[in-house]
Amino acid sequence: MIGNDIVDLVLAQKESNWKRKGFLDKIFTKKEQLQISNAQNSEVMVWNLWSRKEAAYKIYNRQTQIRGYLPLQLECFDLKIIDGFTFGKVVINNTIYYTKTKINTQFINTIAVKNIDDFDTIKTLENRNNIQKNKGIPSYLENETLGYKPVSISHHGRFEQIIFV
Amino acid sequence: MNKPEIIEKLKVIVKPYIKNQEAFDTLTESTDFITDLQINSANLVDVILDIEEEFSIIIDNQSMERMLDVKSAMEIIEMKLSEI
Repeated sequence: MIGNDIVDLVLAQKESNWKRKGFLDKIFTKKEQLQISNAQNSEVMVWNLWSRKEAAYKIYNRQTQIRGYLPLQLECFDLKIIDGFTFGKVVINNTIYYTKTKINTQFINTIAVKNIDDFDTIKTLENRNNIQKNKGIPSYLENETLGYKPVSISHHGRFEQIIFV
Repeated sequence: MNKPEIIEKLKVIVKPYIKNQEAFDTLTESTDFITDLQINSANLVDVILDIEEEFSIIIDNQSMERMLDVKSAMEIIEMKLSEI
């Protein structure tokens, strides 16, 4: 099970005012808000945490078939930086998802997995050929014998990423 | 406030965030904010904050979780207005 999310930082700056009154309270827990206020670059931390929640939600949604606006329930834990990637966990109802986030000046990209070993076998698709959606959840037909595989698509502004394992 | 009044106000609120004009022009109660209007999920929080300001209500976290389509938004607004 995988989920991904990409934030175009230029577009995010245009689309969202994270300093708006009430904004952070609606989507981040108190602990996460503390991380944001303590961060060297608070804006990057906002989208870093947000992209983790979004990527983890995509797995949660696929697993449970529950749709909801659940940013407060999806809580980010244990951020650490290894080899330029930020690793962490997102927890919802005692279920843990592992996240790996790449941050540069243009975008923030998180991949979430249920099984941590899946980080090593993630493949990327260049286009949406052979992808079909069921209740908004996409699957990819790799070949006729193997059938459909879960695929995760994220698109924001200038960036799109399609992944599967 | 009756349903048509609420839906009109709601349309004004969501308009700046929509990415699918056609779905907006044909908006009904079953219109989904994310899959139909293609509102960015980060902007859904703006929709919720705008609703709170416009109707002078507070949307609690549990209600926010259901706030994915016009029908749920209207139910929540009506419920919160009746509590005032």
